[in-house]
Formats: sequence, C-alpha cells, structure tokens
Amino acid sequence: PTLPEGWSADKDFKVVGKVSASTERTIEPVGPHFLAHARRARHKRTFSEDDRI
Amino acid sequence: MSANGADQASAGSERVAIGITFGNSNSSIAYTVDDKAEVIANEDGDRQIPTILSYVDGDEYYGGQAKAFLVRNPDNTVAYFKEFLGKDFKSIDPTHNHASAHPKESGSSIAFTVKDKTADDAASELSVTEVSTRYLRRLVQSASDYIGKKVTSAVVTVPTNFSDAQKAALTQAAKDADLEILQLIADPVAAALAYDARPENLSADVQDKIIVVADLGGTRSDVAVVASRGGMYTILATAHDYEFAGFALDKVLMEHFAKEFIKKHKTDPRENARSLAKLKQEAEATKKALSLGTNANFSVESLADGIDFASTINRLRYEMIARSVFEGINRLVEGVVKKAGLDVLDVDEVILSGGSAHTPRIAANLGSIFPESTSILAPSTFATALNPSELAARGAALQASLIQEFEIEDIEQSIHPAVTTVKHVANAIGVLAKHGEEEIFTPIIAPETAVPARRTVHVEAPKAGGDVLIKIVEGNTHIKVTQPEPKSKENGDDKAKKDADDEDEDESDFSDDEEEEEQEKREKIWKVGATLAEAAVRGVKAGAKVEVTINVLADLSVTVATREVGAKGGVRGNIPA
Repeated sequence: PTLPEGWSADKDFKVVGKVSASTERTIEPVGPHFLAHARRARHKRTFSEDDRI
Repeated sequence: MSANGADQASAGSERVAIGITFGNSNSSIAYTVDDKAEVIANEDGDRQIPTILSYVDGDEYYGGQAKAFLVRNPDNTVAYFKEFLGKDFKSIDPTHNHASAHPKESGSSIAFTVKDKTADDAASELSVTEVSTRYLRRLVQSASDYIGKKVTSAVVTVPTNFSDAQKAALTQAAKDADLEILQLIADPVAAALAYDARPENLSADVQDKIIVVADLGGTRSDVAVVASRGGMYTILATAHDYEFAGFALDKVLMEHFAKEFIKKHKTDPRENARSLAKLKQEAEATKKALSLGTNANFSVESLADGIDFASTINRLRYEMIARSVFEGINRLVEGVVKKAGLDVLDVDEVILSGGSAHTPRIAANLGSIFPESTSILAPSTFATALNPSELAARGAALQASLIQEFEIEDIEQSIHPAVTTVKHVANAIGVLAKHGEEEIFTPIIAPETAVPARRTVHVEAPKAGGDVLIKIVEGNTHIKVTQPEPKSKENGDDKAKKDADDEDEDESDFSDDEEEEEQEKREKIWKVGATLAEAAVRGVKAGAKVEVTINVLADLSVTVATREVGAKGGVRGNIPA
C-alpha cells in the first residue's frame, strides 16, 4: 500500500510486534535440504554465511 | 597406514549403499544411478519381493519362491515376521501367521520352529532376528549381484510407530547379515522424498506444501500428514490401522469365490488349510489384475476335493463387494487430517504409497474427499505418478546416496535431537497489501515451518508507484463456510456472487469445488493477525515490484529486508524475539 502521510521511523523500519506462537517439533532427518540444515546447525552458520562457502 | 586397513574398509569411499524397504508382506531394494533411483529386481525378476523364507530339504528359498511353498510346505515357511522384531510375545498379533510357521515365545523374544536342515533332522528354533538376518542376507545378495559390487550399507525404511527396541532389533539383524545400517528413515518421508527428488522437480524450487502420505500395505495401513517446508519434512500427525489393508481386500475376494465354489460343488475350500492357501494366493493375483484391467480371471487347479475352479470377476463388482474396506481407508485418511488440526482444504498433495495403493477406486475415493486443487499422486489419477510400491525404496536409496560419503559419527550427530528438534512457527508470516478496498495477505513463511527459515517473495507495488508501506503481519487460515443460495436464485446471481467472493480468496491456493457448491461452499481464507513490523520503501517506480525477504532465526527473531526489484539498497530491519 501507499505510504501514509507523515509516516516515519528510524531507518524507515518500525518494529510493532514479535512472532507470537511456536511449537517444538521434530524435523525428519531426510533429504538434501535437511542435510544442509544439519550442516548449518552443527557449524552454527547462518544462511548467508552458508551461501558464501 | 596398513594398521588402519580395517577401519578404512568401512569408511565412506568404500561403501556401496542401497535403499531397502523391509515390509511385513513385501520388501524392495533400490539403488541410485546418476542421481536417479532405480528399484532392483531380484533373480526371480521381482521388484516387490515377498518377505517370506522357506526351507525344503535343507535348501533355503526366499521371496516369490518361498511364497509358493505356503501351499505345500506351510510349516517350514516363515512369513509376516517383520512386525515381530523387538517385541515380546504378548504384544504381537499372530493372525497372519496361521497359514505358515507359527510364532512362539522364546525367552524375551519370539521364535519360529522350522526344519531348515535336511528333512530327517530335528527342527530348529529360529529367533525372529535370525529369520530377519537370513532374509536380509538374501536381499543384499540380490542387490550385490545386480550392482556387481558387494553391498555394504543401507538406509532402511521403518513405520513411524516403530519403537526403539524394534529399531535396535532391526539394526542387530542387519549387522548379523554384515549389513551396515546408515540410517533408519520413516516410510512416509521416504515416499515424499521419492517424489520431491525426481529430476523434473529439482529444477523447480521446492514448494511449501502439506502432504498426506497414505501407505496402504498388505497387513497394515499407515497414514501420515507431513508438512514439507523448503524441502524439510515435519510429521504433524500419524495413524496406523491393522484392519483396512490389502489382506482385507484379498479376503473379500476369497469369500466371493468360495461362495461361488460352494454353490457349484457343495464343499467349502476355506475349511481345508491347503485349499485356503491356494484360494488366498489366487485372490491376491486376481486383486492385482483388477488394479490394471477391468476384468480378471480367478482359476485354481484342484482347489478342493480335486476339483478345478475357474471364474471371472469385473472391477465394478469387486469395487462393490470391497466397498466397506475402501470406506475404512477414507475414514482413516480423513481422521488423520483432522488429528493434525487441519482441513482437507489445507492439503496440497496426497501421496498414495504401498501395494494396495494401486487400486484405482481408492485413488478415486480420496479424490472426492479432497478439493480439486489437491493432487492425488496415484497411477490412475496422476499422469506422472510413480509406482506406489516403489516409493519408499526409492526414497531410501536417495537418502543412502546422499549420506554414503559421510562418517557414521557425522550421521549420528546430524540426526541427533538437538539438531532435529527445533521451533516451528505456528502462524504464517507474510505481507499485507491493498488491492482496491481489500487488504490481501500474502504468506511468505507458511505455518509449521521449521526455523531458521528464509523466504523471499515479490509483491506488487501500487500501479502509480511512489512510496510504499510494507506491513509484515502474522496470519492464519480458517475455513469459511457459505450456506447455499436459495434454489430460486438465478444462475446469473450465483455467478456474480462467486465473482465477488473470488476477490477475497485471490491469494488462496485453493479454488472451490464446483460440485460441492450445491450443498455449501467451503473455502480457506487468511485471517490477518498481529502486525510485526512496518517498513517504507521510497520512490518505487510505477508498475514495479517490491522484493520482501523474511529470515526467521532459531530464536524466533526476524530479519526483514525489502527493496524494489532490481534496485540496490532497500530497507532492512530486525524484529527481536
């Protein structure tokens, strides 16, 4: 939507809330995408760090 | 380095790994060639190899050959034993073993008494682990013969309700057969992987979708609801049933033909064990023929009292007499979708797996439960469907090829709960955009997505361009039920109403079912929840799109990056957890 008149925020970004609900579940350790996730998790890398390697 | 010789033999590069599906009724072996999984036929030419072991005059038979001995040599033939691994005698159901060697209690385990040496020797007592070891040895031998290299390792599929004791017993049985088990994976996930890893799918991005895997086997049916998010699978709910499975369909045909035989010959072939065994084997063959053709023969030489019996049945008649079983499967599937807290409208794909999934009527019935937008992946309803019997084995083979280079400790660390148990967002996270008067929610991160997760979407900026407000909000779906218009209304009115409704379901993945409109219209709509953040993208060109990337981290904090497509810079921000 179009920016309303007079809207402003620090660096044009305003935090209003946060992610409200989550559940603990178990991912199935199968498939190439899981293995990529496990690699990131074990080396404590983020997505962008992983992309660079 | 010669001292390390023994260790090196088991190291990654030396491995030849296959995928194994070890079922109660049938087992399969699969291997990957050039990233494509192939199910291996054994020396009898069978891809579905019956899980049966038989001894005649000291010779061991397995698979199809052993199955034939169920008629003439039932006492020395062991069948339906996989389910007994790692269980104690009191907890098992020996129903399916009445027609072959009976299970008996042996210490804390279960054993079978068979004459596995020459006929004159005393019978031996074989534990269920030993039977499994011998059977696995034969399976692996078949695979080794086909590949031309000794198979050392395997990924084996197991049902989702397989206990740790059962897994340990299976691993031990494999170890005794000189087979290293790299990983035990769940049947439904293997089936989902078999579809997702097809080469024609790999070029496309993996979509976020909800999958129902209906694994319809010989002695059991297992249904699982799986959330597939970015190619990672999370099982949301499962159901297991030991009543509505392949044997129940065999039984329907056995009853049907037994009655026909009695009418003609006044003897009941079900009262004689050998006649019953013949009846069962032919009923199964007829059932398989009815999955392919609309007519099938049923004929048994010397069925009972030395009388041959031949008859035919058409598919329509079979579907009529088997209706209660089919309906049971429907209820099972509907039940597990409900158990997952979902509606049939939430389901994107139904994967039919297992031998009984070849039945066209089962696929058609499930098609009528789910909306038209749901793909029913079965041979009769989906042009490029894979063979349902081969799915789990293919999935296992693909997983085996992915991890065969890994050290066993690496695999163990990767499948550790610390890695696999993570938070999943309960609500969707997306952007709110204004289309005319309506505010439309575009999901970016689907509900039940495991974190960390990163997704990017392109949303349309207002046509005129200018400064754009990006509102990041939570959302969840709910089912809107519209009562039907009174019958007196003209068709044109209905149409106009439908068009109006179409606007608010613009972003919904589901189109409603024309047939159901007669009764009531159910549709999935997004309900907008709390706002998480607002960001301004200034000076967007007319007609341009805005790229929004949302990255949810493991602690549920969120980073948002927005920019005009093609432009540099943009606005970034962080929402703390």
